Amino acid sequence: MRTAACFTAAELVQRGREDLPPELVSTTHLIYSSPATLAFNSPGAEGFGVKRAGLAIPGSVMLIVAPGCCGRNTSLISRMPEYDHRFFYLTMDETDIVTGRHLKRIPQAVEEVCKSLAKRPSVVMICITCVDALLGTDMDRVCRRAEERVGVPVRPCYMYALTREGRKPPMVHVRQSLYSLLQPREKKGNVVNLLGHFAPLMDECELYALLRQIGVKTIHELSRCKDFDEYLTMAEANFNLVLHPEARFAARDFEKRLKIPSIELTRLYQIDRIHRQYQALGQALGARLDDSAFLEAAERTAEQFARKHPGLRFAVGECMNGDPFELSLALVRQGFAVSEIYGTLSAENFVFLQKLAEISPETRVYSNLEPTMLYYDCSEARVDVTIGKDAGYYHPGCPNLQWNQDVQPFGYAGVRAFYQALDALLSGEGKA
Amino acid sequence: MKGLRKVLTPFAPDQSGAVSVLYELGGIIVICDAGGCAGNVCGFDEPRWFTHKSAVFSAGLRDMDAILGRDDRLVSKLVSAAEKLDASFAAIIGTPVPSVIGTDYHALRRMAERRTKLPILTVDTTGMALSDEGAEKAYLELFRRFSKEKLPVEPGRIGVLGANPLDLSDLKAGERLTATLESQGWNKVCCYGMGAGLDAVRAASSVEKNLVVAPSGLKTAQYLEKTFGTPYEVDNPLACRLLPEQDWTGKRVLVVQQQVSANALRAELERRGAAEVACATWFMKKTALQRPGDLRLTEEDQFEALVRDGGWDAVIADPTLWPLTEGCDVQRVDAAEFAVSGRLVE
Repeated sequence: MRTAACFTAAELVQRGREDLPPELVSTTHLIYSSPATLAFNSPGAEGFGVKRAGLAIPGSVMLIVAPGCCGRNTSLISRMPEYDHRFFYLTMDETDIVTGRHLKRIPQAVEEVCKSLAKRPSVVMICITCVDALLGTDMDRVCRRAEERVGVPVRPCYMYALTREGRKPPMVHVRQSLYSLLQPREKKGNVVNLLGHFAPLMDECELYALLRQIGVKTIHELSRCKDFDEYLTMAEANFNLVLHPEARFAARDFEKRLKIPSIELTRLYQIDRIHRQYQALGQALGARLDDSAFLEAAERTAEQFARKHPGLRFAVGECMNGDPFELSLALVRQGFAVSEIYGTLSAENFVFLQKLAEISPETRVYSNLEPTMLYYDCSEARVDVTIGKDAGYYHPGCPNLQWNQDVQPFGYAGVRAFYQALDALLSGEGKA
Repeated sequence: MKGLRKVLTPFAPDQSGAVSVLYELGGIIVICDAGGCAGNVCGFDEPRWFTHKSAVFSAGLRDMDAILGRDDRLVSKLVSAAEKLDASFAAIIGTPVPSVIGTDYHALRRMAERRTKLPILTVDTTGMALSDEGAEKAYLELFRRFSKEKLPVEPGRIGVLGANPLDLSDLKAGERLTATLESQGWNKVCCYGMGAGLDAVRAASSVEKNLVVAPSGLKTAQYLEKTFGTPYEVDNPLACRLLPEQDWTGKRVLVVQQQVSANALRAELERRGAAEVACATWFMKKTALQRPGDLRLTEEDQFEALVRDGGWDAVIADPTLWPLTEGCDVQRVDAAEFAVSGRLVE
């Protein structure tokens, strides 16, 4: 009988990061396409892929210049009211590929798009795909031509799936593009940018309060900018907080072009680690951050949940707002069990696996992308709750917390919201 | 402007059509892409994907694979998958990437067959044509590869070609066609790819007749007629349930559907007394199935002008087209086309 390939945390740590089994290295095998992997294979279909992310600037529109197949699933996004009349397509045919004539038509297409809109867009993003990656198209030049023709900023946006595991994957590039319109401005000591996400942090996140403690008056997030003018004021920030590793290159651009330095923070669910991270942030800023009330509230919520639902066994996937290995470690440290993790190991999260192997060596690790996941059989694991959309797919009979909302959980507030959502789910108050 | 879409999103591409034909047949399906195409095909164009597991994979191509033409890597990945999975064949489906780098599918097939010992199908789709063209290629490749033997004709056995969710916009099309044909006296209905599996394909020469329900099946029906002498007929018996019960007498009607369904609707409307029925399609327009004046649509403004200037009493089309008919005084009759909008017939 065929079974899905998996490895225990102990086995993997014993082998070490340099000797991961090929089943857990996505470049060595075909990529299984199941509903659990939709976010990997088609990041535009759910959450923020390049297309949605590329429209993060207020008042922007996007022209997708590509073969029809690349724009097909955009109809899912186009149905969302906030993207009404914001996606346009210039479809390529084989002659375009051979002659490159589509590039000459882009300025005219941009002009027609702008004319068709009741309000002039703030920026036109030109989204190009694998085909132009292979053709080596100089899209900066094409954008400049289009910009001259319409008098509106035009910027490239690279949806190059071929470079997904390269140095600058598409989601890194798009973050750079989004901030490329900012021009140097006089700095204000009490302004901070939060970089990394395309939706805001949850309103109740303590990071806002902690920054205000040290005198920060204005906290910018791209997704909270009401209009293009407000977006431009992000260039006035004193420093940036980078909340997602894919924003590192954008942060470097800020540093180089706008002389705005940055500090990186990680999303964590281990409460003591969150505390240490805030202490380190305070040190870097030369101020003391008093997070005691937030820390206490998070601990209280986690403990209450643990008392109310003792002995739960989890399966944790990667299609959610968190790192599956870090979240699993947090759950095990909180007294729960994690039977299975569906995730992708990297240099950054292997450290969590090492800690996990010490206290939960039998936790099994699967790769969503591996071909034998076709034979995954949920009856082999005892699981009470699943976290993540992928984990929910593998255990259809189990309560599932998708935890993949657009609004981003972070810090102690994220921990509280997580346990509260789990409690609501298990108390029959609805599915999160 | 040619190719510019301001209202409609692109329609289902050829690679989705090819996968749709092969989805239920128990093979390993490898979409030769970096990941995005596989996501589009499965997550959007294959409605069975959410309920019915199939061995669909992305080749996971990366830039250097494409630049250096590392087909051997793809074959190694396929060999590894074939060792771990139960499959009766494997299919490699083309996308824009192999199209741009000029992948030699013939060589790829020979290499993969030698190493996997499985029958390998290759479909040279490009992501730039529409789903029916991909489905047509896949049907032809499938039957050429597996329908080799001339078997005795079994009375009462009928084959159905062109039945797939993209062309018929109905997940129950296989069952409905089977029920309809059984009620007409056929005792064994082989709805290829929607109910009937690879064994039925192998025994394709044993059917008394083939029924072509979408243009994508026509070439294969012609191939089977030429190879085995199997006659075929073209009709979609399910199309007419899209027509609302009303008085069509004297009406001028525009039908925008895949060509076989459009023709079936036209025949029914004429039977009900319509004065004039014109057919247009976004997909293939086969000369053998057309009447003078039938149209192949490619651009939004072409459709806008057709509706605006045609003086129609009614237009039967996918509802996503309605924003292009704003201001026109016509009756709009919803007839979902999955390959247009991703919506199934309700």
